[in-house]
Parts: sequence; C-alpha cells; structure tokens
Amino acid sequence: MKVALTVWENRISPVLDSASMLVVIDIRKGMIVNKHYVPFYVELPHARAALLADLGVRVLICGAMSQLYENLIQAYGIQIISFVTGDIENVLDAYLKGTLSRRTFQMPGIQPMRRRRFRGGRG
Amino acid sequence: MAGGLNKKYSLLSRNVTDIILENISDGVFTINHTWHITSFNRAAETITGIPRDQAIGRHCWEVFRSNMCERDCALRRTMKQGKPFVDTSTYIVNNRKRRVPVVVCTSLLKDKSGIVVGGVETFRDMSTVEQLRKELEDRFHLGDIVSRSASMKKVFAVLPQIADSYSTVLLQGETGTGKELMARALHDLSPRRIRPFIAMNCGALPDTLLESELFGYKAGAFTHATRDKPGRFALAEGGTLFLDEVGDVSPAFQVRLLRVLQEREFMPLGAIIPVKANVRVIASTNKDLSALVAEGTFRQDLFYRINVVRIDLPPLRDRREDIPLLVERFITRFNNLRNRNIAGISRDALAILMAHTYPGNIRELENIIEHALVLCPKGQIEPHHLPGTLIPTIPSPPRTKTIGAAVKSAEENEITTALKRNDYNRLAAARELGIHKSTLFRKINALGIRLPKIDGRTHRRKKP
Repeated sequence: MKVALTVWENRISPVLDSASMLVVIDIRKGMIVNKHYVPFYVELPHARAALLADLGVRVLICGAMSQLYENLIQAYGIQIISFVTGDIENVLDAYLKGTLSRRTFQMPGIQPMRRRRFRGGRG
Repeated sequence: MAGGLNKKYSLLSRNVTDIILENISDGVFTINHTWHITSFNRAAETITGIPRDQAIGRHCWEVFRSNMCERDCALRRTMKQGKPFVDTSTYIVNNRKRRVPVVVCTSLLKDKSGIVVGGVETFRDMSTVEQLRKELEDRFHLGDIVSRSASMKKVFAVLPQIADSYSTVLLQGETGTGKELMARALHDLSPRRIRPFIAMNCGALPDTLLESELFGYKAGAFTHATRDKPGRFALAEGGTLFLDEVGDVSPAFQVRLLRVLQEREFMPLGAIIPVKANVRVIASTNKDLSALVAEGTFRQDLFYRINVVRIDLPPLRDRREDIPLLVERFITRFNNLRNRNIAGISRDALAILMAHTYPGNIRELENIIEHALVLCPKGQIEPHHLPGTLIPTIPSPPRTKTIGAAVKSAEENEITTALKRNDYNRLAAARELGIHKSTLFRKINALGIRLPKIDGRTHRRKKP
C-alpha cells in the first residue's frame, strides 16, 4: 500500500495546497519497503489530485488543506489524514504504530481526531 | 524615586500596548528565534480560528498556515534581511478548511537595547474586500461574455430570470456580437445546465439535410440509411437547442419548425410515431425578423412563436467602452493558448482600436488581437502590429494621441448621426443614445458640435 506525505524541510508541509514535494512510501506487512521523493509542483487542484491517483497513493498524510483539495482528493478514493504536523520520521512511525491521532501530531485549533488507528501496511 | 516613576510608566505603557493590541482588527503575533509563537492577539484568534492558548508555544507555520510559509515566508525574509516587508498578499487556511485572503506586514522585534529578539507579523483579513472585488468583476462578466456598457448590463440583469423560464428566446444582433455565447450563458444559468447544449446553424444546410439533422431519421428512411440516427432535437433532450441563423430557413421548413415549437413533438424521417421533445429552443438571427415578416419571407406565426422573449445584442461600435475590456480578455486568452507572455496593448494601438467601426463586431476584434499577437514577439502590442487595414481609419495623428481623443471623436460622430436621424430633435436623439437630454446638451457644448438653427420640436410644431 502506498502512503504519501507532503514534505517541507524534513517535516510535514504546513499547507497541502502549496506543498512542493511528496514522499511516497510503499508499506507491506507493516514494513517500509520503498521510499521515494516526487516533486509536487503541479498548481491546478485537479492535477494535484490526479497526480496522487497516478502514483497509486491510497493514504495521504498532510498539513492544513482547503476544502476544495480535500473534496477533489477524496473523489479519487484516497484516504486523507490532514492537519498533521511534525517530523516526517516521527509521523511515519506514529502512522505505522497507529498513534497518529495523538495531539502532538495535530495542528492547533483542530478538533481532536476520532480515536482511530491509522495504520497501514496490510497491503 | 525617578527610577520608580520610570518603572511605573513603563508598566503603564505596556498595559496600554496590550489593550491596543487586543482591540485592533488586525491579527498580530510575535515569534522568537526558534519560530515559536510568543504572543497572539484577539483578532489573530478570530481570523485563524485558533485559540491563543493553543497557538502560543507552537511553530508559526503550524498556526498561520499560509501558502507563503514553505517558499516565501515574509517573516523569514525580514529576519534574514533585517528589514520590514509591508502589504504582502497571501492566503491562510483556517481551522474550518477555508482559505482566508490576507495582507501581511512583518518586522523585527527588538528589546530595549536594540537586540533582535524575534519577529512580529500583522495580518488583515481581506475576505470582504476580495468578495466585493469579485462581485464588481462579476458585474462585467457573465459566463464568457464581458461588458461594462449600460445596454449589456441591462441584459445581464434580466438574463437569470430569462434563463430560469422555459420560454423560447430570440437573440437578435449583427454577426459577431456573441449570440452563441449568450445562448450558452442562458443554458448555463438555466436548470437545464446539466443536460446537453446543442447548436445548429440553420443557414448552412439545404432543407432536406436540415430536416434529417434536426429531427433524425429511421433505418430504411432512404437509401444508405442503414441505422437510426438521432437528430439534434433528440440529442438536446432535456437541454437546450440553439438554432443559429433562423432567419435564413426556407418558408417550407418554417412550417415544420413551427409544428415542433407548437406541438412540442417532431417526426423523424421515416418514423410513424411522433417523438415528444422536451427541449428549450433559443433561436438567433442577424436579420430583422419583423422586417422579414413584413416582406413576407418569414412566417408571422413562427415569428410570434420564437419571439417570446427577445434579447437584442448591441453591435460593438455602440459599446466602445467594452473594447479595452475585451482586448485584455483576448490577450490573456491567447497568452494562455499560445504560451505567450504579451504584457498588454500600448495607448496608441488601443486608440486605433477605439476608433475602428467593427463591421465584424467582437469576432473582428478577436481576429485583430490574434493577428497582433502573431506579429508581436514580446512586450506590448504597438500600432505596427495591428492589421494594415485599420491604419487608414485612424483620424489625423494629433486627435488619436490619446484614448480620450479617440472616444471624443467617436462620441462626436455618434451624437451628430443621432441628431440627424431625429431631425435634430435633441430629446429624441438623447433617448436613442440612452443618455439624459442635459447630458446630451453638455456633450454638444463640450465637443463643440455645431447645430443648425432648426430643431426637431420647432419643425414638428410647424408641421400641422
């Protein structure tokens, strides 16, 4: 299963709408088997959503995002975990352990995430 | 004693600053050297939707969440270059996933001894201004139609109501005035917008072909008709059918068209059962249909059937104020289409365009701009980039130096013609021009138009 994170200086990019880099991670049986960076320079919202779908991304972890982007990306059947903050390694680790819903990984001013275990790696 | 007083005033001053910060409508936050927020005022809470207790101590990009944070942070520039930046436009994403347009100012934060201890960012919510700007812009735009002329504004005002109805519409206007664009705008504003918009030029085809195109045919209706073919009426089911150049339809076909509009059903060629048509018809013509009715070349009953709601599209020479707006629109469009970067049009070139009479209307203007873009490698469109045919239409050089002079010359021409047409009756001429009679008198004086001694009123009075 492919998980994409928007990256800025080794941390989650603050705003998905203007993020310029993605790290795409391939997870199998709870282990990272592949990790590569993909430029995310496309400007148009549709093109951004389509690029994620073309990359085969199933889950997107990102910072703040506007409603327009959320709707478009969800329309491609991609699960979104937004308003996430922190270092990429910590966020990824928390995702694999199912602890991403902790407040330390949430941007301020956002309702706490439902107690869900965002865990990938089954694919 | 003096030290105590200073301390007291210092404390008072700090309190006053705090009160001011809490009561201004601009958001203000400060950061330290590690980019952590150290203060966050009430307006900042309102604009971002983030409570102060959650904002303080967090990284500024986690709270402010602007599209500048990553690539072009104003605070970072200020901290790096040691100078303030004012009025940087950007947007932030608030806690409700809404983009809020803001204008940002940044400066250094120094302590009493002048040592930089961080930065301060103030930001103003521009949502209302943006909304008003958009509304103002929308007043000149409707779909792909752009205009700021009074006559078109009247059309814009009634278009939503017309679109909302199911009535047949007749669009009348010279060639190139945007009849198809108007038909599309009507369709896009109507409840039928999710259904197809089908356009058909009736003037281009002979009767038999027109019939099979509009109504379709059944397999076996004629030689080589091996399978059913749906006509435009069937294709536009639930949507809108635009019949262009309806004035050119032959009298024989007019009867068939009348039947469809009257009965709301049609018969495909070779069919034995009529087909119901749930189609809104928009017809257009560049001819004066009432004159054709008077001549006997257009059926009166069909005329009344399609002339339910009529929209007259004024020619471009009657709405010259739209020329700069249209030029700008075409330059932007061709820049995008051809991947060009033409900055605009020079004053002299625009003056030439303003003075032209445009027999081909907007389509002609569009072609002129396309021609200019082919010849203009970079920068602005200059007079020598315009087609040579336009050059003889330029009045003497001193009069076309400015757009104002070109407009004056055009106004003078229009006023003189309108006065002549109305036997120099000022009131009638003012009505025809769509201006108040005092405005007309003022313009006659300002432009120095010489009038004959008779006027329309005295002439009329003498008549009986």
